[in-house]
Amino acid sequence: MSWELILWVWALVSVMSLVGLCLYQLITLSDLEFDYINPFDSSARINAVVIPEFLLQALLCASFLLTWHWFSFLLTLPVTCYHLNLYLKRRHLVDVTEIFRSLNSEKKYRIIKLALYVTLFVIVIYRLVLTAVTLLMDDEDVNFINSGTL
Amino acid sequence: MQPPTGGEKPPSTYHGRTLTPVSSAPQLNPQPAFPPPTLPGPPFATSNAPGLISGSQFRPPFSSSQPVPGGTTAVPPPPPQAPFLAGQPVSGSSPFAPVGPTFGASATTSPPIRFNGPSSVGPTPARTYQQPEVPRFSSPSKPVTPLQSSYIRGPPQTPIQSVPMAAPPSQIGNQLGMRSNMPPPMGSASSLAQQHVQGFTNVNQQRTIYQPPPPPPPGQMQFPNVGTAVALHGQMQFPQSGATMTAPPQVQFPSMGPQVGPPIGSTGAIHSLVEEFQSLSVGAAPGSIDSGVDVKTLPRPLQGDEEPTRILESYPLNCHLRYFRLTTHALPNSQSLHARWHLPLGAVVHPLAESPNGEEVPVINFGNAGVIRCRRCRTYINPYVTFADSGRKWRCNLCQLLNDVPAEYFSALDASGRRYDADQRPELNKGTVDFLAPAEYMVRPPMPPCYFFLIDVSLASVQCGLLEVVAKTIKSCLDQLPGSPRTQIGFITFDSTLHFHNLKSSLTQPQMMVVPDLDDVFLPLPDDLLVNLSDSRNVVDSFLDSLPTMFQENPNVESATGPALKAAYMVMSQIGGKLLLFQSNLPSIGIGRLRLRGDDVRAYGTDKEHILRVPEDPFYKQMAAEFTKNQISVDIFAFSNKYCDIASLGTLSKYTGGQVYFYPSFHASTHGEKLQYELARNLTRETAWEAVMRIRCGKGVRFSTYHGHFMLRSTDLLALPAVDCDKAFSMQLNLEDTLMTTQTVYFQVALLYTSSSGERRIRVHTAAAPVVPDLGEMYRQADTGAIISLLSRMAVETTLSSKLEDARQMLQLKLVKSFKEYRNLYAVQHRLSGRLIFPDSLKYLPLYILSLCKSWGLRGGYADVSLDERCAAGYTMMVLPIASILRLLYPALYRMDEVLTKPSEKENIDELLTQVPLTVQCLDSRGLYLLNNGLSFILWLGRMLSPDLINGILGGNLANFPDLSKVQLNENGSEVSKKLTKVLKTLRQKNPSCHQLVHIIRQGEQPREGFMLLSNLAEDQSAGAASYVDWVLQIHRQTQG
Repeated sequence: MSWELILWVWALVSVMSLVGLCLYQLITLSDLEFDYINPFDSSARINAVVIPEFLLQALLCASFLLTWHWFSFLLTLPVTCYHLNLYLKRRHLVDVTEIFRSLNSEKKYRIIKLALYVTLFVIVIYRLVLTAVTLLMDDEDVNFINSGTL
Repeated sequence: MQPPTGGEKPPSTYHGRTLTPVSSAPQLNPQPAFPPPTLPGPPFATSNAPGLISGSQFRPPFSSSQPVPGGTTAVPPPPPQAPFLAGQPVSGSSPFAPVGPTFGASATTSPPIRFNGPSSVGPTPARTYQQPEVPRFSSPSKPVTPLQSSYIRGPPQTPIQSVPMAAPPSQIGNQLGMRSNMPPPMGSASSLAQQHVQGFTNVNQQRTIYQPPPPPPPGQMQFPNVGTAVALHGQMQFPQSGATMTAPPQVQFPSMGPQVGPPIGSTGAIHSLVEEFQSLSVGAAPGSIDSGVDVKTLPRPLQGDEEPTRILESYPLNCHLRYFRLTTHALPNSQSLHARWHLPLGAVVHPLAESPNGEEVPVINFGNAGVIRCRRCRTYINPYVTFADSGRKWRCNLCQLLNDVPAEYFSALDASGRRYDADQRPELNKGTVDFLAPAEYMVRPPMPPCYFFLIDVSLASVQCGLLEVVAKTIKSCLDQLPGSPRTQIGFITFDSTLHFHNLKSSLTQPQMMVVPDLDDVFLPLPDDLLVNLSDSRNVVDSFLDSLPTMFQENPNVESATGPALKAAYMVMSQIGGKLLLFQSNLPSIGIGRLRLRGDDVRAYGTDKEHILRVPEDPFYKQMAAEFTKNQISVDIFAFSNKYCDIASLGTLSKYTGGQVYFYPSFHASTHGEKLQYELARNLTRETAWEAVMRIRCGKGVRFSTYHGHFMLRSTDLLALPAVDCDKAFSMQLNLEDTLMTTQTVYFQVALLYTSSSGERRIRVHTAAAPVVPDLGEMYRQADTGAIISLLSRMAVETTLSSKLEDARQMLQLKLVKSFKEYRNLYAVQHRLSGRLIFPDSLKYLPLYILSLCKSWGLRGGYADVSLDERCAAGYTMMVLPIASILRLLYPALYRMDEVLTKPSEKENIDELLTQVPLTVQCLDSRGLYLLNNGLSFILWLGRMLSPDLINGILGGNLANFPDLSKVQLNENGSEVSKKLTKVLKTLRQKNPSCHQLVHIIRQGEQPREGFMLLSNLAEDQSAGAASYVDWVLQIHRQTQG
């Protein structure tokens, strides 16, 4: 199995979990908005997954860089930078005391992020299929050539 | 949507009632339950209660009803038809509460404020709406001369289509009807109105009620008396001149009838102007050197807060204005209109405002019926609900849902659809009531009042004498703590270690346990750190006696505030209550340690400026959230003379419904009195525990933003671990629909709380406000006090996220925009160049906004106010009720020397004192002046003040007092001093929420004079802010553009 395929499978898994985490946060926020959950629980749940999400995203970005996938790297880079910025300013966690005041902006920020993740997801799927197919075809070609030469 | 239907029943016809529960109630209760109002007792305390018989004493409205031994005896529930629950002990209604007798109200006395109209909803507002003695409420049918009524001038403005107010006259009939929200009046008012139009031959009966000069019906209409024709679309033709005029009708209207007013002329026009709005002449040309403003004519709020009582005339069933005030008591009917109202639209709520004697809030127990609320929107029953289906259903006034009336609550209706027992039920005739909440409203048994003290005992506390004052004060208050005998109390002291105090009742001496481990705080004892006060009274007493001496030799300068907060949290988390933190140092070790900041001048004026005003360590926000979650409210008493980061510490109060007290450079000899009073007030004032507050409003509007000290638990639920009579909250309104269809919007504030006596109660305030389609009416109904309260909170919040300059600009922009909009309403017709015009209701707004910009929270830059004082002022401004914030912004300045020296017959101090404008020109160097800003008194001694007077006041020659800042004003034998003490006492009684310490300042004593007095003179130029005259000119220039 080629490294290329492993990379894209890893990317697929991580992008899927990123989408999942992001959706989870959004759902928690809208639950809060409709009063199904109190702000203490809501912010505790969101804050628990913020750092894992940041790490996963950064890893993904790094792996694109290390494998010289410039296009994918540049696509993930802005989010990574934004995350880093938030983290350095210590604004990455949801503030439980002001959560209702910042509810709309928090939701907007996560919706935009979700849209980026979904775009990335589509690209990753495409590249994965492309890689897999070419790999298979290459294998077949090799087999064919091998069988032909033999 | 149920518009009042006044036409059904003329108000005057309702006199007698067929069924008089008044007489039946005393039979139910042989001993009527109402002390005469002169008695010093709450009106709903009862005489036949078992508690009273067994010697119960005076009970303030909140205080504990005695747990009555006989209270559990089953009392038969009131007969369903019984109009009143007077005399019925509520025991058993709540399984947890040791409730004493609580009574709805007495059946024998009718409520003090009672409008004797036939229905609680319909004609009542309508009738008063038209009362002629309400000149500015623009009631259309007012039988006054058209010159004085704004509405009368309304319709003819329509020809000028560019004027924003304009509307085609064909709609005016509807518009006016909508605007005034009332049915066609049938009473005397309309007949009066008809007198004015008797000259018109072709008068449409329906329209006369709106307008003496009626909107013309299609076609031309002859007015024989005048010979004037009014054409369609408001074009007026004057046969005499033969000219068609489109000029402003304010001037022309008087000519229509001899009986309506003075003849056409400039005097008439000016007169009408004066009636319509206020204007200030600001000189010839803007920008000219001579300002042209007459300083003396500038409006000044020398009376302090004036409540806009006009709304109560139209809606007498509203709760009192001390509880609920809107920034304008006329809501816009569309979003476009809201967009033109540039001031904040919202409300200021003061749910537990102290009511004067005789107006205590009635407590109502519904017994088996449960609290009666709307099924859908959960609105509580209130005076504005209507009853239908012969009393079996009631219609919610907020959501219009038809609800069932519980069988226990049923009462028949009279011919006008009003309940026969409406006069006896406070919830149906008063805007403010307390409901007794049954067990469904409790998640746990009502908590006992709980006071926990967290006292910094490091070197600084000992040196400034803080410990002694605190210990003495707490000890003196132990008897008056509310909620006895359930009250809980506990103490932790800390320096670089934590000291826990075991107050177990079986001990003779308290035991102190020292925990030096700050990283992993644990409790050395599982219980006995928070004990029942009455059980452990002796131990608590001996602890407080020994507290000052215990740490006398303490050389420790560290302060482990964070770990101490954690420890207090662990002790209190089961119960909740009030945590009082006495802090005399910057928190220096352990979690939550803070560092010195705020001494960086360069930060000011940059984008990083606001960071100094927000908490540095997220620990404080997290702790605040934890505290709120466990119903703990934190009050901060900070004493440092160095920087102690009020911004971070105050966060604890901000989100827990607490309060920040800051005593810079505290010393017991000078500030002890103030601390003593304020701590005692904090401990003994009536407090509502584990409270939540929600404010509901009718369809179409929604509260969006809340300001104050609380934490939002859901989008519209304010969590208040403890709330008391010194805290107000404000909120902003948003319109949800582009066009509102209702004509009245109802608001209901509901505060669910546990009283100190252990009863769960719901305080409900209900208010109504009309929806209007025109901006002029909104301006007429504007409430400067509420606007300033809301604006000051918005400005303080702005300083937390941006520069001070931005906050000041925001205020100025709002003022300019609103005055510009107002100018556009009128200036076109009146050619008012050179005049600043503003509505009468907002005449003080420019001055208040100017002084808001000069207030401690928003003033200047780095050097003008120290960071701690700025933050403390910000926290104070976030909780102050309207009257106090206005007093703080525009302090009262009195000239005292004549008052003190001249003998006078008048005993009433109020009549002796006359307020003078707040400008240095008013300070006479031969005089003695007193400045009262609600938080402190400043006594200013003029340079040429007679030495006798000084001797009288100080009790000695001025030369004996080299440092006036340390002088304490005590009463000495002299006549002057006695009188001064009396004046100060009277002024203090007016504002009991804090103690005003007297600061004595000599004229020319710099820098104290400049800092304490001159910076308080809001009308003078100071700290880069304009003087009042310049400010008015500035506003005028900007409204011109």
